[in-house]
Amino acid sequence: MSPRLQMLHKRFFCTKIFPTAADHHFRLRRHQNQWLIKQVTKSNFSEALGEIRTHISNSDFIAVSLQQTGAYSAPWQRVLPIDIAETAYLKAKRAAERFQVLQFAVCPFSVKASKLIAHPYNFHLFPRDELKIAMPSYSFSCQLSYLTTMAREGFDFNACIYDGISYLSRAQELAAADRIGHSSPSSYVVPSSSANSVADSVFTERTKSRVRHWVNACKDSNKKTEDALINTLRKLVSGSELYGSRPCLIINVCSERQVQLVLEMLKEVVDVVPMVVPARGGEVQAIRVVLTSSEEDKNLLEKELQDMEEEHNKRVRGFREVIDLISTSQKPVVAHNTLNDFTFIYSKFLAPLPSSMDEFRSSLLLVFPHILDVNHLMKEIGPFEKLNNLPASISYLRRKFFAPIDMEVSHRAEADNVQIHGRNVLRISELFAKLCSVLKINPETFEDDYCHLSSALQCHANTFNPSLTSSEDPIDEDVRIWNKNSRRISINNLVLLWGLESGISAAKLKALLHGSHEVFSKEFDVQMVDKNCAVIVFWTTGFSDRFLRIMDSGEIFCESLKDMISEGLAAASYKTYRSVCKLGLWEADLADALDKALEKTKRLTEAKSEEDLSILCTVVRFKSCSFGFLVDVDGFFDLEAFWTEECQGTWLLNVLTVTVPMNLRNIIKSLGETCPNPPLMLGRLISKQLP
Amino acid sequence: MKKYFLVRAMAMAEAQARNRNQLFPFNRFLCSSSNSSDLTLKNVTKSNFEPALAELRSHVREADFVSFDLEMTGVTSAPWRESFEFDRADIRYLKVKDSAEKFAVVQFGVCPFRWDSKNRSFIAHPHNFYVFPRQEIPGDGPSYEFSCQTTSLDFLAKYQFDFNACIYEGISYLSRRQEEEGLRRLNSVYNDESSESLSSSKAVADMQLVRMADILFAERMTNKIGEWRAGLLRDTNEGSEFQGSSNDTVQKLQTIFFKMRPALVLNVLTSRQLRLIELVIKKHFEDLVYVHATGEISCPQPLVVYTDSTTDRDLLMREIKHCRKNEAVTKIKAAVGFRHVIDLLSTERKLIVGHNCFLDIAHIYNKFVGPLPLTVEEYVSEVQKHFPYIVDTKVMLNSDSSFLHLVKKGSTSLSKAFTFLCPQIASPNVSSIVLADNPRIKVEVQVDDKRFSNWNSGAKHEAGYDAFMTGCVFAQACTHLGIDFNLHAPPVDLVHNEKLQKYINHLYLSWINGDVIDLRTGKCTADSLGSTNLKNRYPKILFSNIVILWDLPSNLKAREIKECMSKVFGTDSVTSVFHLDETAAFVQFSKQEFVSSFLELKDTLEQKYDPISVLHPLSKILEGGCTRAATYEIYKEICSSPISEVLFSNQAEAVGIEWRTRQLEPAVEVEKQEDRASSFSQDQDRKETSPITIAAGAPSSCHFPTDELVDSFYPVQAQLSK
Repeated sequence: MSPRLQMLHKRFFCTKIFPTAADHHFRLRRHQNQWLIKQVTKSNFSEALGEIRTHISNSDFIAVSLQQTGAYSAPWQRVLPIDIAETAYLKAKRAAERFQVLQFAVCPFSVKASKLIAHPYNFHLFPRDELKIAMPSYSFSCQLSYLTTMAREGFDFNACIYDGISYLSRAQELAAADRIGHSSPSSYVVPSSSANSVADSVFTERTKSRVRHWVNACKDSNKKTEDALINTLRKLVSGSELYGSRPCLIINVCSERQVQLVLEMLKEVVDVVPMVVPARGGEVQAIRVVLTSSEEDKNLLEKELQDMEEEHNKRVRGFREVIDLISTSQKPVVAHNTLNDFTFIYSKFLAPLPSSMDEFRSSLLLVFPHILDVNHLMKEIGPFEKLNNLPASISYLRRKFFAPIDMEVSHRAEADNVQIHGRNVLRISELFAKLCSVLKINPETFEDDYCHLSSALQCHANTFNPSLTSSEDPIDEDVRIWNKNSRRISINNLVLLWGLESGISAAKLKALLHGSHEVFSKEFDVQMVDKNCAVIVFWTTGFSDRFLRIMDSGEIFCESLKDMISEGLAAASYKTYRSVCKLGLWEADLADALDKALEKTKRLTEAKSEEDLSILCTVVRFKSCSFGFLVDVDGFFDLEAFWTEECQGTWLLNVLTVTVPMNLRNIIKSLGETCPNPPLMLGRLISKQLP
Repeated sequence: MKKYFLVRAMAMAEAQARNRNQLFPFNRFLCSSSNSSDLTLKNVTKSNFEPALAELRSHVREADFVSFDLEMTGVTSAPWRESFEFDRADIRYLKVKDSAEKFAVVQFGVCPFRWDSKNRSFIAHPHNFYVFPRQEIPGDGPSYEFSCQTTSLDFLAKYQFDFNACIYEGISYLSRRQEEEGLRRLNSVYNDESSESLSSSKAVADMQLVRMADILFAERMTNKIGEWRAGLLRDTNEGSEFQGSSNDTVQKLQTIFFKMRPALVLNVLTSRQLRLIELVIKKHFEDLVYVHATGEISCPQPLVVYTDSTTDRDLLMREIKHCRKNEAVTKIKAAVGFRHVIDLLSTERKLIVGHNCFLDIAHIYNKFVGPLPLTVEEYVSEVQKHFPYIVDTKVMLNSDSSFLHLVKKGSTSLSKAFTFLCPQIASPNVSSIVLADNPRIKVEVQVDDKRFSNWNSGAKHEAGYDAFMTGCVFAQACTHLGIDFNLHAPPVDLVHNEKLQKYINHLYLSWINGDVIDLRTGKCTADSLGSTNLKNRYPKILFSNIVILWDLPSNLKAREIKECMSKVFGTDSVTSVFHLDETAAFVQFSKQEFVSSFLELKDTLEQKYDPISVLHPLSKILEGGCTRAATYEIYKEICSSPISEVLFSNQAEAVGIEWRTRQLEPAVEVEKQEDRASSFSQDQDRKETSPITIAAGAPSSCHFPTDELVDSFYPVQAQLSK
């Protein structure tokens, strides 16, 4: 590099630190003018939806990337290396429920012979209450640092709030169905009319003759000109009205069954199109039968109705239409941090997040069967590298491997119209293409069979564990301690220590502890979780339990540690940390949360020791339902199944111990959600003592 | 549109404005001020904050009163946190507290009003501050996060609020508490630190010379610095000027004076090299000191400073330390930002005027003073310390029938009141009819150096303009009260004006209940006129007679709940049922005994799951076995939690109310709380109820054998009549 070039390079480096609007712009023009991401707001949503529909169906993969208003409310609430899959999920769930997605970038892409063909779109979202039904979101949180970062990137908050696209999740749409009030005949699945009762056939026959009569009358009146008075009278008698320019007839119905019957019957009548007229409360009030003049006219009307329905859906579902498109395409979805992104997608566009990771995983996979995490693929190449962000990963690949990828982006940049928002989605696509090339995976799927990924990719699909493990075992209970180091340890060897002097460093704490007791004589490590809570790693098995016992018994350590204990030092096992996440004790300081969790456990153990009052055994009778999963329903309290005994055929009698009625309630609630048959009868509560 | 460098450059502003105009016909963006001077509003962002503050200082000092208004990112964090008739004063405060803690203030309008006796008019200086809680200093900034209520943002958007201006250019702030905390932390850092550990990296001592390159570099630097030092000494001894010894050193080593001492500037070195130099100096040169702190004014570049002696060296260290501390203090002081405006209002002890401003004051307290106290009594006394004179124009308008007549029985919302009370300002084009008995006040507006006698920015819900309207309404209301500004020599002493006394420090705690709180005493009274119509809708509320039910079977209507209850406790047992949201309802009984009776009965029924309980009239309410019930005090506990779930039943679950133990709390406890409640309110009606002892409510006296329940549909009634 000539010195001059070097200087130029330096200058750019400086502008990175103090980016002003002008050279920010300059930089973009220089380096990214070949990339254009189509920015979509409310005003051009319809148009973009049509485009992306074709792109999705013509592409092999779909990359997604989200811009949220925040990720965590306190430092310890980030997903940390010490988190197991379960706690990581609970943290991601908390974030997804609390924060909002403001930008959603989608990029359908294909890789054809080291050429990346990408169609990037960036949708601006705002959870506006478009339908005045207090949905999709009552309120949401914003993390200051995220807003500041967005501001630095030049995000236009006005455009987002004024012109962002709203949405409803699937669950919300269902819940609001009666308030939205629109249903098409196609949504009525007509069952094979197996058992028609006499009343049914009478109703059908009567309606059929009425419709026939009306159709004939209409056709007659078209032929010969009649007196206006007679015409009006005829209309009155037959109940005929006009729908647009076409004649129509209203048939009142009083049950869902009748709706089905009428729709079934109308199939036999030519040239009529049925429409369902909803009443308040989502029920059907009547069916409007529209008479068309010919087959062509009928098709025309049907097309019209279909358009209307689409328009309505667009209004109700908003951006979720795009999610539904991705879902129905069943194509592999590529993201960078899948746990984070898909908890957000699930909670905003599908349904409220379930309480367990497994449930989340299984119901998510029903909607998106193939989810690929580029971050996870990266681990295949550089397992020990700290490559948390996309640019770092891309430059790492560029340095270490030769994997040229040509990029072809469908939208060409016009002068002065450079947009950077949502560019991460292009980076994900690029990174994915490079990774495939490096890992010798053939990303070209067969035209006719999108559902079968090449087997190499298949083993990388659907991994949500944020930690380094490549193991597929969901109950992997080994964690890392450091971001950079891959050394792993069982969570049983971890102890949480809090009540420390605020802002103490890990090194200082380690020095304090070192040699203070036998347990600290062998190898151990200290890592700060937040400003006054640390995790201690005992590399010798069994020392963690010993340390906890010592803390409980109040055995004397050296002076310095004794002082610390008198100043409020406390310790607990990893189990307490798990309970903190499970119970949702999202305090600002982890120390407070741990205290609260301990308090709860203590209250329960106390309750257990008390006689009579303490143990409430519940007899819960369920219809053929196993209890294997129950043990972890509330994780915090280990439920014990006392006995299982068969009685009265398929009925099982189960006795469970629970300590507080409130938890009983939770159990019943979760049973109700999980069982195909919710509890038929709640058994009696009887006081019983533990053996 | 090029949106990513919005509002950054003034040159861009005009083009932007044009862009905007296409989108929004009535734009009110910052940049719009350049287009139309007659609609000017003094917008203040961080770029013009300093001069605006200086200007505002003089205006406030001269002012007779200062009106204010706030725009927030939200009002309620959950639907059930809205204000209800069933909210006792302490609950109302908890709801306000929750709101002030969760949401952010994005715009702050301040408008000082001064009476100009020459022109016989008021001069107003409306200021519109964009505020954003940016983290200016490391550590705990103003807040880590804040909440946004979707409808509130949408509302702001409807009135063309400029979010970009707010987030990009908003003025940050620190509350007093945060400032104190920051300074305290600073002190502890600088006091703890021994003078030796001033070097930025403590790891230097541990650093080992491993790499060959390092060893060579260290060697070379030792020689060079040694040479430089020798040169210095030689020069001072010989009295001649120092000259660079060789060409090579001149390139890299340059001598300056740092705090009156010769110093060597270390340029263009990597951080590793700097660390090596630091190590070398520690090892080999007693009288040299390595000084470096990145990005600070006192010492922008790394230096090696020569000191005469160890005492001189310590002196230098102390000087540097002092200097650094001062810089840090200045930084914190600078981060105080918008709070200077609040401090100004507070120290000047002016009359502060707001419209329905209880929540606004709570925001001010929470954002600029410190965390809100737990009880309303503590809170009001704290507020009085900072703002001794506050007037709520909504209270003024509602407490006098003549005002209500003036606003033609219309609502007393700010814009309505403004249009009716000050038509001459609201719509200057329409020639206002000045009635003899209704002298219209004249208000002139001064923005920067321009004066407008007919000023109307028309931007409703822009904090600056709302503050202006509030001030106008107040001034007009004062004349109606018979305060003649002409009689007083300026400054007009409004604070001690007799006619105003009954309004000063009286704020609406809750508009819906018509509860007015006296900030001097913390007592609540009902307003005399305003919300009387509202009050009549609901019968008197006796909080001790209330049970709260949640997790109700879906679609259970209030009427049905009432019917069920009546079947058990008698036809007149239920005074009212009020749905809090779709999952929860309040039931107010006619007698306090019924509360504990009901809770007991519910418990009994739930434990025995047999035909009796299935047939029991309450089973309709208890269906599904999930229905929960508790006393009013539990409602308070749920309200005081920082959690905000959208549905009340989820909230109760999240708070973790262990209802079983709570509902059986001894009656004494209930009584105590009742006392507290009544001490709070002067409401005579409420006081009458408090002496009722809760004998019948004691758990022992309320035990009903289940057999009896089948026989009698009115078991409780029967029991009580015994």
